[in-house]
Amino acid sequence: MSVASARRRQALSRFWKDFGRQRTGVVGLAILVGAAVLAVIAPLFIDESVTNVVTAGGPKMAPPSLDYPFGTDESGRSILLMVWWGSRTSLLIGFLAALVSMLIGTVLGIAAGHFRGWISAVILRVTDWFLVLPSLVTALVLAAIMGGSTFTIIMAIGVTTWPSTARLIRAQTLAVEARPYIERSKALGAGHWHVTTRHVLPNVAPLLLASTTLEVASAIVTESTLAFLGVSANKTSWGTMLRGSYDWGAATAGAWWYILIPGLCIVAVVMAFTLCGRALEAVLNPRLRKAGA
Amino acid sequence: MRKWLARLAVLGVALLVAGQGQAALAQDPAAGKKIVRVGATQAVDSMNPFQAVRLVSTSIHRWMYGFLTVPDSKTLKPSPDLAESWTPSEDGLTWTFKIRQTKWSDGRPVTAEDAAWTFNKIMSDDAAKTANGPAVENFESVTANGQDLIIKLKAPQASILENPIPIMPKHVWEKVTNIGEFSGDEYPSVTSGPYIAVEHKKDQYVKLKANPDYWRGAPKIDELQVVFYDNPAASVVGLKNGEIDLIGRLNPPEFEALKGDPNIVQWNQQGRRGAYLQINHGATTTDDKPVGDGHPALKDQKVRQALHWAIDKDKLVAEVQNGLAKPAHGSIVPPMYTDFFWEATGDTKVTYDPAKANQILDDAGYKKGADGIRTMPDGDRKLEFRFSIHTDTPIEDKLAEYLTGFFKEIGITLTTKKLDSSKFTEETGVTGLFDIAISGWSVNPDPEEVLATHLCSRRPTPAGEGGGTESFYCDETFEKLYQEQLKELDRPKRAELIKQMQERLYTDAPVITIYYTNDLEGYRKDRIKSITSVPEADGILYGASSFWPFYSLEAVESAPAQAEGGSNTGLIAGVVGAVVVIGLGAFFLTRRRKSVADDRE
Repeated sequence: MSVASARRRQALSRFWKDFGRQRTGVVGLAILVGAAVLAVIAPLFIDESVTNVVTAGGPKMAPPSLDYPFGTDESGRSILLMVWWGSRTSLLIGFLAALVSMLIGTVLGIAAGHFRGWISAVILRVTDWFLVLPSLVTALVLAAIMGGSTFTIIMAIGVTTWPSTARLIRAQTLAVEARPYIERSKALGAGHWHVTTRHVLPNVAPLLLASTTLEVASAIVTESTLAFLGVSANKTSWGTMLRGSYDWGAATAGAWWYILIPGLCIVAVVMAFTLCGRALEAVLNPRLRKAGA
Repeated sequence: MRKWLARLAVLGVALLVAGQGQAALAQDPAAGKKIVRVGATQAVDSMNPFQAVRLVSTSIHRWMYGFLTVPDSKTLKPSPDLAESWTPSEDGLTWTFKIRQTKWSDGRPVTAEDAAWTFNKIMSDDAAKTANGPAVENFESVTANGQDLIIKLKAPQASILENPIPIMPKHVWEKVTNIGEFSGDEYPSVTSGPYIAVEHKKDQYVKLKANPDYWRGAPKIDELQVVFYDNPAASVVGLKNGEIDLIGRLNPPEFEALKGDPNIVQWNQQGRRGAYLQINHGATTTDDKPVGDGHPALKDQKVRQALHWAIDKDKLVAEVQNGLAKPAHGSIVPPMYTDFFWEATGDTKVTYDPAKANQILDDAGYKKGADGIRTMPDGDRKLEFRFSIHTDTPIEDKLAEYLTGFFKEIGITLTTKKLDSSKFTEETGVTGLFDIAISGWSVNPDPEEVLATHLCSRRPTPAGEGGGTESFYCDETFEKLYQEQLKELDRPKRAELIKQMQERLYTDAPVITIYYTNDLEGYRKDRIKSITSVPEADGILYGASSFWPFYSLEAVESAPAQAEGGSNTGLIAGVVGAVVVIGLGAFFLTRRRKSVADDRE
């Protein structure tokens, strides 16, 4: 096994080197790590009370000052602290929704690619059906029916975004399963489980990573959109802050900081994910490498 | 990435639709005509007064039709409208109204026959009961004799003089075969009031022209239009741009957005609406069987009172309503109605005192656990309540945030539950699936109806039909007082009984009134010369309980040929926006296809 592990280590270091060459990807990764670390360590410095309207003591809609570096909202809460605390909700929902989407997409994608015949046909028709559903509207309806909580928002986003992952994974599964060594493995008595988990999954994993990274970005945007449209988990997130700025007339009041700060946070994180995802794709997809991207 | 295109396309279509909304009313106001355009953020539900329940529709009908009586614009006491005079019999059971000699807008005379037909229609046809069914519940019979209308009651009823039913022309409406399905869209309408409806475009506008033969004299303007907006922010922009001349029922943020415009008058007066928390104190149906899933702790009056002590109403007024409301130290009747308003004093008065609230809960045995949350005295169920509010109501969202903060200080957890309005009505009025819910009522000059919403008989039936309860309340004392006030024809004595009913609601706390919202409106003074509110000087313009403001209003003549292009700008902007968005979407899509071989084999 030492040969295999050595080869894996080698592959990993080659991957790192390739990734390191994608300068934009590195920048994106740095932003991401920064945002994630900040979100994780937030409870060491602040707690949920920064979003409590009753205890907020600041002036209403005050412009940035020394006390409130990013200004305050309509209830006198500090935008800086709210953005910081809200990043936890936004990132959590983004990651978990992408994870849900990835899990469903991978299982169904591999199943559709591995089992031919009617199983594949059924899965593909279901996938097509979900694909043509307007995902934002479906997510809105789902979240409205299930009521607002972090879990329901995650599920609403997750179950509406998996079809593209499923399609992608199925395509890759078909390509992998066409390779001769799969046939060899089958001839040696490998079952469905062995083939899919030992041979197909490791081969689609890199692509999955890239696609999931992009999926997180889209999930964060979807969460913000849902929150802006009024469906939220009743927790402060960047989306609910944007919604608040709209509801309380920040634009007419000239409170640019209330709109811009959460908006820029979303843009920065989403862009970081996209940069990372694109860099991963470029590194992992041999066809793109050949194209000289 | 296809979904991105889909989303962008949706956005584009939305822009297109939004841009189109106001273009429909793009006609140029005819030169020299006096036209006043009123904005509304709800659309007319029906132009059939037997069916219409929305405020915008009932307001329009108030401008179109006469009633038996109308609240006096100064004192709000019942004063003659289509009924010139009235006399009750000795026992208070038979009322004779003398109907005024006047004409319908098609020239036919108005007779008591019209009024009798209107009431009998509602009494005999269930489909006609939608709008004003309860108002004839107590009517035994209604007959006409020339200009005399004779109403026989089942039991005495002081509020008969505040009857909310518009009198309809029999010769037009008796031809309608299915009153429940009829939308009332036949123009010009036949009316007896100051205005005649001439056009209605669903979800867009209603046009009314002045009735030249109105018995009080024709209105001072030629035309009144009601223009609908999808959202309040758009209506405020419409007022600023001069698309409309008046907009009522504003929320504080929109009202404040009008600040600083020299042409706009900000109308901020006492309102007729009380906002209250409805508490599930053990919801039951009319057969006294429990219904719903209310928290058991709320059955305890002490817990409800403790909640009341924990609410800082002054802070709510200042920060949720931006100071544009009045903290409530009474019950559901707002202070506008000086005759019937009751205010708590002395020992009964509940103020903001979390220490006292904690004390009450401690004494009643609701002990705090390790996490600071109280539990039931006889078990370990925590005091965790749900707070039901509507979706898309920022003010209620904010209120929920504050209440959550207040109740946390007394060891009670509050979680917000947002529901769309039909589900909200069902859960808080029929199925009882709530703990605490936001509610409110726009009270008429006679508060009988709002008091009736707390009667036993208003609870839902065992079959699950809502009776219009606002609290699932069923209290012997309250019922007795209600029956007494029905019979009491002496106004001051009746007011006294009504005040006792409010005190009962205040101390027993099935509802906790938090504030009375101000009436916030705005109008353009370069378009409206003068307008009188109800009550005069410090009352309501749009949504008032009489036709008076829009009858008395005087307009500035519209300038000839206003910029025609202005009205199309919205449409053009919408189309351009949509094209750009869709174009960008397509561009990104194709670009993406080129760069990353995404989902192809």
